[in-house]
Amino acid sequence: MDRRQFCKTILLTPIFGPLLLDLKYEKKGLHLYIISDSPQDSLPTILQQLHNQELINGLRFTFLNSLPAEKSLKKILSQKGWKHVFHPSLADFSLFFSNLRHSVYPSFTLVKDGRILDVRTKKLLSLWKEMYHQKSPSTWLTTASFQFKQTGLFLGGHAAIYLDGHKRETISLKKNFSKTFQSQRGSIAVTVKNGKAFVSNSSCLHKICQSTLPVQYVGERIICAPNHFLLEIQGVQSIDTVIG
Amino acid sequence: MAKKTFIFLFLSILFLFSCGLREKWCTSTLFFFDTVCEVKIFSSSALAHSAQQEVHRIFSEIETVFSPNSTDCSSPVVLKLFRRSLQIYRDSNGCFDITVAPLSKAYGFFKKPDFVPTPQEIKSLLNFIGMHKIKVKNKEVLLPPGMKLDWGGIAKGLGVDLASQSLMAMGIQRGFINSGGDLYCWGRNPEDHSWQIGIKHPREQGFIGVLSLSNSGAATTGDYQRYFELNGVRYHHVLNPHTGYPAQNKQSVTVIGPETTICDALSTALFVSHQPEKILQKYKDYGVVIVNSAGKILVLGKPYPFNPLSTKL
Repeated sequence: MDRRQFCKTILLTPIFGPLLLDLKYEKKGLHLYIISDSPQDSLPTILQQLHNQELINGLRFTFLNSLPAEKSLKKILSQKGWKHVFHPSLADFSLFFSNLRHSVYPSFTLVKDGRILDVRTKKLLSLWKEMYHQKSPSTWLTTASFQFKQTGLFLGGHAAIYLDGHKRETISLKKNFSKTFQSQRGSIAVTVKNGKAFVSNSSCLHKICQSTLPVQYVGERIICAPNHFLLEIQGVQSIDTVIG
Repeated sequence: MAKKTFIFLFLSILFLFSCGLREKWCTSTLFFFDTVCEVKIFSSSALAHSAQQEVHRIFSEIETVFSPNSTDCSSPVVLKLFRRSLQIYRDSNGCFDITVAPLSKAYGFFKKPDFVPTPQEIKSLLNFIGMHKIKVKNKEVLLPPGMKLDWGGIAKGLGVDLASQSLMAMGIQRGFINSGGDLYCWGRNPEDHSWQIGIKHPREQGFIGVLSLSNSGAATTGDYQRYFELNGVRYHHVLNPHTGYPAQNKQSVTVIGPETTICDALSTALFVSHQPEKILQKYKDYGVVIVNSAGKILVLGKPYPFNPLSTKL
């Protein structure tokens, strides 16, 4: 099989075409996509090859969601020396499972920084051919993301105070202090202590803002709707907004 | 000289005009539905101003039409939302029910000191709960005596959907609207990636995880958003329409899918239901992130990119 035919085969696989288009916008890094109802049959071999060629570091993996064969996959990976961790912050790579709308022949592809890696150069061609010639369609896509960027938990350096829809002040979280703010609806006291901000007093009825835990991570917020008050921790932005 | 002055003035005006036309990220904060509504869009200054006015107009209308004191049961928008609510009521076996207003009122979530009704009072109030008791005749919703509608579980989501559709129709191709946790996002974020949406942890500081979304809605229902504690027991605002008591076994439910209206209603339904998987079978384009009462995270339904986080760094 020459390089052109190989690339043609990859792009013709219905799932990989749109994925590769989408990757243009995604974060950099190495991603492995496996189409198979039993990823435990091929994933350990591929991971071992990637590890031997120093394309990946570390042995800790985590699941971002569930799969019917999850237990089997965890067991086989553990037997081969990979270690399962629960928290993504501790993992070297993550595994995410998606159900395909249409069944596709098994195969896999490696993508690094948006470019397909030729599996022939990674000594994985024989495995690729073996999977592809199985001719038993699969409906599960396993995505292994290596060097994935941990998002979300960055300590903020300051908090923005919004009153009546307008930004009024920015307060530093580095110094302990307290201040009472007046909106058109009432008053609300904010205290900064040990790098965290919280509402120490409010004129509202239900005091939900007062019972909100102190905030310190970028994106966290405390809201007092009756007083038209919003406090938002700001800093290096990795979260665009918060729900809940 | 006059000619040079004229050219200079003309170019200055052109430059100032083009500054207004240049697109940039614009954020505004509004107060509707008893909460903060955040709108962030990528547009010119002039268009951003029109967009803010449009969001204001839509939210005002929704807030008025669906307010607790409104008696409007015949306008097309009310009828349409009633029919959608009824469908979700049936699909969820009554776990989502907009007739819970008398119960919510009894618990003191509406501007009243924290109060727990007696079992007898709850049993009596349950006679006025149940969407199946409501008829629609001559394009009007007919409420039996004693029944009252609470649109709080779905109207905000509708407002977000209508507002974001309007902004997209105005040509705004990137942005999000977040109305107190009911959100719709479209296009790419300022870093040219999918929008990174943090889900607040129901018990601890920080987040349970981050969703990566584009052209999707999301909504969260939690037992920490509106509650009081009495004698060591937490009474929160997500009431089980079947029992009349706060729903148990979950701390937080976040639903993701194509329409925020449905996400809003489903987040309540799945919070109340003991069989969320069965409800999700009828909503194949929707996924859910649940934090159960033990603090464990479950991801069900259609998978959306979700990166669980640990707050214990």
